[in-house]
Amino acid sequence: MSDVTDPLAREIEGPSPRQMLKSRAASHKGLIFGMSVVAFLVLVALLAPVLAPHDPYAQSLMKRMVPPVFMGGTWEHPLGTDHLGRDYLSRLIYGARVSLMIGAIAALISGVIGTAMGVAAGYFGGKVDAVVTFLINVRLAMPVVLVALAVVAILGGSLTVVICVLGLLLWDRFAVVMRASTLQISRRDYIAAAQVIGASTPRILLSEIMPNVFNNLIVIVTLEMAHAILLEAALSFLGLGVQPPTPSWGLMVSEGKNMMLFEPWLVLIPGVVLFVLVLAINLMGDGLRDVTAPEGRS
Amino acid sequence: MLAKSPTRSSFLAAVLMAGVAMPALADKASGTLDVAFTKELENVDSYFNSSREGVVLQRAIWDGLIYRNPETNEYVGNLATSWEWVDDTTLEFKLREGVTFHNGEPFNADDVVFTVDFVANEENGVKTQRNVNWMDYAEKIDDYTVRIHLKEKFPAAIEFLSGPVSMYPNEYYAEAGPSGMGLKPVGTGPYKMVDVVPGQHFVLEANESYHDSPKGQPEIAKIDIRTIPDVNTQMAELFSGSLDLIWQVPADQANKLAQMDQFTVANESTMRVGYLQMDAAGRSGDTPFTNKLVRQAVNYAINRQELVDALLQGASKVVYTPCFPSQFGCVQDVTEYEYNPEKAKELLAEAGYPDGFTVDFYAYRDRQYAEAITSYLNAVGIKTNFNMLQYSALREINMKGEVPISFQTWGSYSINDASAIVSQFFKHGSLDSARDDEVLEWLNVADSSTDPDTRVDNYAKALNKITEEAYWAPMFTYNTNYVFKDEVSYTPTADEVLRFVDMSWK
Repeated sequence: MSDVTDPLAREIEGPSPRQMLKSRAASHKGLIFGMSVVAFLVLVALLAPVLAPHDPYAQSLMKRMVPPVFMGGTWEHPLGTDHLGRDYLSRLIYGARVSLMIGAIAALISGVIGTAMGVAAGYFGGKVDAVVTFLINVRLAMPVVLVALAVVAILGGSLTVVICVLGLLLWDRFAVVMRASTLQISRRDYIAAAQVIGASTPRILLSEIMPNVFNNLIVIVTLEMAHAILLEAALSFLGLGVQPPTPSWGLMVSEGKNMMLFEPWLVLIPGVVLFVLVLAINLMGDGLRDVTAPEGRS
Repeated sequence: MLAKSPTRSSFLAAVLMAGVAMPALADKASGTLDVAFTKELENVDSYFNSSREGVVLQRAIWDGLIYRNPETNEYVGNLATSWEWVDDTTLEFKLREGVTFHNGEPFNADDVVFTVDFVANEENGVKTQRNVNWMDYAEKIDDYTVRIHLKEKFPAAIEFLSGPVSMYPNEYYAEAGPSGMGLKPVGTGPYKMVDVVPGQHFVLEANESYHDSPKGQPEIAKIDIRTIPDVNTQMAELFSGSLDLIWQVPADQANKLAQMDQFTVANESTMRVGYLQMDAAGRSGDTPFTNKLVRQAVNYAINRQELVDALLQGASKVVYTPCFPSQFGCVQDVTEYEYNPEKAKELLAEAGYPDGFTVDFYAYRDRQYAEAITSYLNAVGIKTNFNMLQYSALREINMKGEVPISFQTWGSYSINDASAIVSQFFKHGSLDSARDDEVLEWLNVADSSTDPDTRVDNYAKALNKITEEAYWAPMFTYNTNYVFKDEVSYTPTADEVLRFVDMSWK
C-alpha cells in the first residue's frame, strides 16, 4: 500500500485545489475586472503625490470651473477645475485616498468587532450566543444612515469621526455570517478531535475555525467596504462627512450640485468614479465567493 | 385620477395637462406674476419673522407712517402726511385721512396707538426687539393726530418708522393676534394677501383702492409666490415658463442665464456685509486671536479683491469698515489691510506662531465663500477645522462665546444707519467678541446724540479703534441677482427688497 505508483493514488492525481482555484479565478471575468480596477485605484491613491498634476488644495479663483479637455478645456487641467479653481484631476486622485482609506479602515474595524462577536457566539453558544444575538438585533434595529447622521452632527464631521462611526456601525453582517458559519463548523469532527487532544480554545479558534470561515469573511469585507465608501460619500454630500478642503468624491458631487444645470461634468466625473469603484469592489467580492466556494453559487 | 384608472391614455392626459396648463398660468395674458422664494417664511406677520422674505411681504401688504424713497433716500409721508419732533423724545404725526385697511376698517389714530403699544411691549415678543424697543408708547391727540413717545433719544427713529415699523388694524389685530395675522394678513398696502399656504405659496392681489401713496399704484393684478428651496429647480421652472421672476440667484448661475436672451438679469448691491469675527476678548479660552498681531495677520491674509471679482461679482465691493459704506456714520477713513500674505506670515511669526496654528473655523452660509476664505488662511499657516452650521446653531454657540473665528454676515435690516450693525455687535452684548470699553463709550454717545456731527465723530472714533485693533476682518458687501422674463419690467433697488408695486408688464 505504500507504493506511490498505486493505480488508485495515480487516479486522484490531477490539478491540486490551489491550481483549481487559480484556473477558476482566471476564467472569472467579474473578478478579473473588479480586481484590476480596485488594484488600479489603490495604486493611484498610493502614488497620489507623484500622479497629481497640481496641488489639490491650491486655489485659483481667477480660473474657476474650467471645463475638462473633452469639453473644450486645455491639458493644463485635464478634468477641468472646480468652483474654487482647484485642479479637478488632482482632487479626484487625492479623493481616491480618502474613499479607499475610509472603506478599508471602516471595514477593518467592523470586521474585527463583528468577527470576534460572531465566532465567539457560534463557538461558545449558550449565554454568549444570547448576548451577541441580542446585540445584533439591537444594531439591526438602528437605521445606519440616520445614526451616522446624528452622531456626525453632534461630534462634527471629520475624517476620523466618519471612519470611527462607520467602523462601529457596520459590524452586523460580519457578526451574523461569522456566527452562522462558526456554528456549522464547530460541530465538525475535527473540532471535537482538537478538543479531545487538549488544544487550547484560542488555538482551536485561530487555527481550526478561522481558516474555514475565511472565504465568507472576505466576501463580507468587500461588501462592507463598498457600503462604507457609499455612506461616506452620502455623509459628505450632506455636508456632514469629510470637511473641506479635504477632497472627497461625495463632497465634490455636493459642491458641483449647484452648477449641475450648466456644468454637469462637475457632478458627473466624481459620480462616475464613485460608481466604478463601488461596482468593482462588489464584483470582486462576488467573484471571490464564486471562486472560493463554487458550491454556494446561485 | 391616476390612481383610479392607471391606463396609458389617462397618464398621457395627465402629463399633457401638467405640461400645457402650468406654463399657461404664468404670463402677461393671465396677469399673474409667478415668483419663487428660496426660504420658508415662519410667519407672515412682519413683527414675528426676521427673514428677508418677510421684509418683502411686509412692504407689499402694509405701510409705515413714513416712506423712504429707495432712490433718493428722502423721507416722505405715507400713512402720515407730516411729522415733527415735539421734543427730543416725542414725535407728532398728522395722519392721512380716508385710508382703509383691506378688510374695510378705516385707518386712524387708534390703529397707530394700538400697533405701537403692542409691539413696544416686550412681553408680546416681537422677534427683532431692536426694531421696536426704542418706542415707549403712543398717545392719541385726535382722530388724525398721534404722538409717539420714545424711551430715550433715538436719532434713527425716522429710519425705523420708514422701515420695519408698519401699521396694523387695531380691531382685527386685537382679535386675530400674530398667528391669525400670519394666516390672513390685513394691512393698508398696495397688495392684499388672498391666500396663505404655509411652506407652499402666497397669493397677492392688487389693492384696487390703494391710497395715493409714495409707493405708487400696483400694476400687476396677481402675484403667486411659491417656496422652492433648490436653485436648480427654480431655474428649470423659469425655463419651462412656470416662474416669471427669481432672485438671490448665485453669480455663476446668473451669468449663464444672462447669456440666454429670454431673461433680464439685474444686479444690485445689498446692505449685507461679510466679515470674519475673531475672539479678541478670549471668551473661547486661550486663543491666538487675543493677540492683535494675529488678528492683523488674518486681515492681511485675505485677498478681498479676488473674492469680490471671482466669487461675489456684480455690485459687490471690498470693505474695510465693519459697516456698509452708505450707512450714516460709516466713515471710510479707517485702517485698511491690503492683501499681503508675506506680511501676514511675518506678523504671525512675530506673535510667536512661526509655523502657524490650528483653529476651529465656523460658517453658516455661502459655503463656497467660506471655503475660499479658509484657503487664504491655510496659505499663511492658519490651519482650519471647517464647521458649517445652521444660522441658529452658530448664533447660539457664538452667544456663549465658544467661537474662536467665524465667517459672519449682517444685513442691518436694510437700515441706513451704522448703529444697525456697529452698535449691534460692539456694545458688550452676547455677540460682542471684542468687548472694548472705549468703543462702547463712543457708541453710546453716537447712538443717543441728536446732533449729526457728534454722531459721525463718535462713530469715526469707534470705527478707527475697531479697524486699528482688527477686531473683525470686514471683507465685502453682498449683491443680489434678480432674474426675470423679458416681458416683466422692473428696476431693483439697492436695499435687497423686492418691490412688487414697482413691477409691471411690458
